[in-house]
Amino acid sequence: MRNHNYLNMQVLKVFILLGIVCLNNSIIYGQDSMEDAIVSLSFLEENESKIIVTKAVDQSGLPIEDLELYYYVKRTFSLLPIGDPFNATDENGIIEVEFPNDLPGDTEGNVIIVVKIIESDLYNDLTLETTKNWGLLVQLPDQKVEKRSLWAAAANAPISLILTVSVMIISVWYIICYILFKLYKISKIKPLKP
Amino acid sequence: MRKVINKQQTYRTKRGKALLGHIVNTSLKYKLWIAFLLLIIVIGGYAYYRQLKFGLIVTAMRDYTSWGIYISNFVFFVAISLVGSLISSVLKLSKNEWSRPLTRISEIIAIAAIICAAVIIIVDMGRPDRFFYVITHLRIQSPIIWDVIIISTYLVISLLLLYLSLLPDIALCRDRLTAIPKWKKMLYRFMAINWNNHPKQVVMLQKVSRILAITVLPVAFAIHTVTSWLFATTWRPGWDSTNLGPYFVSGAFMAGAAVIIFTMYLIRIHLKLKKYITEIHFEKMGKLLVLLSLIYLYFNINEYLGPAFKMVGVEGEHITELFTGKYAPMYWFVQIGGLILPIILLIFRPFRKPLPIFIISLFVILGAWLKRFLIVIPSLQHPYLPIQGVDESYLHYIPTWEEWAITMSSFAWLLLIITVLIKLFPVIPILKAKLDSETIVKLNIFKNEKS
Amino acid sequence: MENKNSKTDSRRQFIKKISTGSIIAASGLALSSLSSCKETSQEKTTLLTTDGKLVQVPNSEIGELEHQHITPEESRQGIPGKKWVMVVDLGKCKNAKKCIEACDKHHNLTPDRPYIKVLEMKDNEKSSPYWMPKKCFQCDNPPCVKVCPVGATYKRTDGIVLIDNERCIGCRFCMAACPYSARVFNWGSSPDQEVTTAYSPETSIPSKIGTVGKCDFCPDMLRKNKLPHCVPSCPNGVIYFGDEIDDTVTNGEETVRLSTLLRDKAGYRYMEELGTKPRVYYLPPVDRLFPFEKSTEENSES
Repeated sequence: MRNHNYLNMQVLKVFILLGIVCLNNSIIYGQDSMEDAIVSLSFLEENESKIIVTKAVDQSGLPIEDLELYYYVKRTFSLLPIGDPFNATDENGIIEVEFPNDLPGDTEGNVIIVVKIIESDLYNDLTLETTKNWGLLVQLPDQKVEKRSLWAAAANAPISLILTVSVMIISVWYIICYILFKLYKISKIKPLKP
Repeated sequence: MRKVINKQQTYRTKRGKALLGHIVNTSLKYKLWIAFLLLIIVIGGYAYYRQLKFGLIVTAMRDYTSWGIYISNFVFFVAISLVGSLISSVLKLSKNEWSRPLTRISEIIAIAAIICAAVIIIVDMGRPDRFFYVITHLRIQSPIIWDVIIISTYLVISLLLLYLSLLPDIALCRDRLTAIPKWKKMLYRFMAINWNNHPKQVVMLQKVSRILAITVLPVAFAIHTVTSWLFATTWRPGWDSTNLGPYFVSGAFMAGAAVIIFTMYLIRIHLKLKKYITEIHFEKMGKLLVLLSLIYLYFNINEYLGPAFKMVGVEGEHITELFTGKYAPMYWFVQIGGLILPIILLIFRPFRKPLPIFIISLFVILGAWLKRFLIVIPSLQHPYLPIQGVDESYLHYIPTWEEWAITMSSFAWLLLIITVLIKLFPVIPILKAKLDSETIVKLNIFKNEKS
Repeated sequence: MENKNSKTDSRRQFIKKISTGSIIAASGLALSSLSSCKETSQEKTTLLTTDGKLVQVPNSEIGELEHQHITPEESRQGIPGKKWVMVVDLGKCKNAKKCIEACDKHHNLTPDRPYIKVLEMKDNEKSSPYWMPKKCFQCDNPPCVKVCPVGATYKRTDGIVLIDNERCIGCRFCMAACPYSARVFNWGSSPDQEVTTAYSPETSIPSKIGTVGKCDFCPDMLRKNKLPHCVPSCPNGVIYFGDEIDDTVTNGEETVRLSTLLRDKAGYRYMEELGTKPRVYYLPPVDRLFPFEKSTEENSES
């Protein structure tokens, strides 16, 4: 569908990571052994949508058809799946997976995209990781500045509360001190001479 | 002058003899009473030792009923500490001269109660060793801190209130009491701060007394309102009420008046002061108690009618439990025996005689204490989420002997402080009026000299 | 800025160079990391730096973090750049109580007073009862923190409400204030006398007599980028946990977007009307995985 659009596409970044080209393996196991697929990722931005284009070829450079790939975004505890539940390559060995537009990244908008081959019949498991600034920019809560509130630490009590309490304490204790001062004055008065 | 120390105390007037006699002579009855109070205090001390050793596990409080009779007792003590302001400020400012002989009793009760309130709250703490954290780490946002501030302020004000009215009498004790031990003489000398009835002193004392009488009012209202906020600032059914402040304050005034009647009856009997605490005082206090009870009844209706009419969720369950459930006997005893019946009875003159009103006020006090129990405990047993998956003991609250012993000893402390203060100082102001005629004459001379 | 964290930034720059250089010969890169391409990708952990950037750190470096002891003072700072959030799917809970067991074990609790409770709920007479696992809701407008007189309990920037048992005076005002009864008190001497590790509010052990405890979202685990104990212990994947800023929650097996989950399954917070803004969401008990069954030894009572 998009083949004829290729020229118009703005190819931002393409980079290819390889599964291990393991000569030893192929020598030992010959034709029976599992092969490493070569998977290359390219990222397209078209209008509003962001698309991960993946091309999978085998060792001889021929496109692999019907290879299932899994797409994730790295999160704090685990990998968040993106795209359809099942994504398989077409006859040209190509899959296009749309990246969600509203997924938060880090403060610079970076996300780590992970592409995996898991338990394929013909190809070894493979994990590709790449950082892309396709995520939403995230505003992190300020670690230092705590808002003044009733549930904040003592130092961040609401100003109005501090003022009210202080005014009340000061006024009452001012009166108490005044009375104590007057008592002191009383104690200094000498008796009248009879 | 009066240098000769003779064992036989002489009094200038009959009034002086009646009001100062108990300071000089220590009766066996007094000693037995003190011994009895000390015994209760020692038992309570042992219970508290056990609580310190094993933790609050010795109480019946658990995760849901996390506040028990310590807290309800605390609220009760704060409530009766308001009497000081009621009698010596409200009645004084409204020129009710008849209440003069009662002012000192009420001020003494106020001091004793506020001290016991402060102590019982420390007893309730899981970590009393960290008490001073409330000063070193205080968070002004917490209602507990407001309470700590207001209680300490009120304690100082109560002490001042008593001291200011006592000052001329202390000087009198210093001057006239001869047959007393040396330490008492030193105490009076120290406390009298050179008071000599100088007209200037009288004027100054009158001025500061008036200032204090006005100051104590907002502070007294604040102390119990803030205590009510300890409950009203939470999300609990039964506490989540805007009515709680006036409800607590009016209840406190009622309980306080009853405590005064109770105490003045005992003082009248045991110190033989029938001439000074007369039937008229009981009569008037009875009327006052009716008035205060009616106000309290009004707030009671406000407190329960709304929730009982709406029966919202857990709030409704809480109300149902009070009206017809587990706490119904106590609830109706408090409302009828401690509030409605006293109002009805005290309307009739014969019930305002000393003995009947003494018994009625006893019921009012008991009702007031149980009322605080009903405010604190059933609310905690009705959280929004059902109580499940905890040990059986978490579902009920029946105070343990340690809790009762500590509560009883807090009452013993209250009575001990009151008794000792009464023993040390004249319980009825000796100077008859605001100023004795002698001083007024002197004062006038002084004024003329100046002008 | 780049001088500060040299190690992580150099790696970042390296990745940048690769991407700006567009195409790198595939074979060359592969050969340079020939030895363990697969392994490194698995052993790395993604972390967020204090200034909120993603970095990947080999697990060997994280090892040092794991043994770090967080003092009460340090525990007042939240884990940077995080806003923890929990979602509980009521449709999946069958009262297996494995979360309670895991929590009790980790926090050295006796079974009679657990941090987590699985409550039998029934919204009205006609609707079916359901199980509701309840932890601390870590409210954003926490009633308990508001009332604490000494700041022994506090709200962190990562959303967690913690208790410092070395500050707590045991007044129990927070317990009275919490509308969800999430807090428990150490009434007697704690059962974990044998615990020798130093106290940290992040582990809540060893608990101290006369102080308050509660569910804490296991910040010690979160610092290691691991899920709180109750989450993976649940056999039915009831509890989802994650970072609100990430917009992702996981129950250990399934990872979903928080916003999608709450939108599609009509997530709600318990007693929203109280205004406490809990950080724990519930998914309504619909499409149940299990019929409601009560085991015989229940001592539930409402």
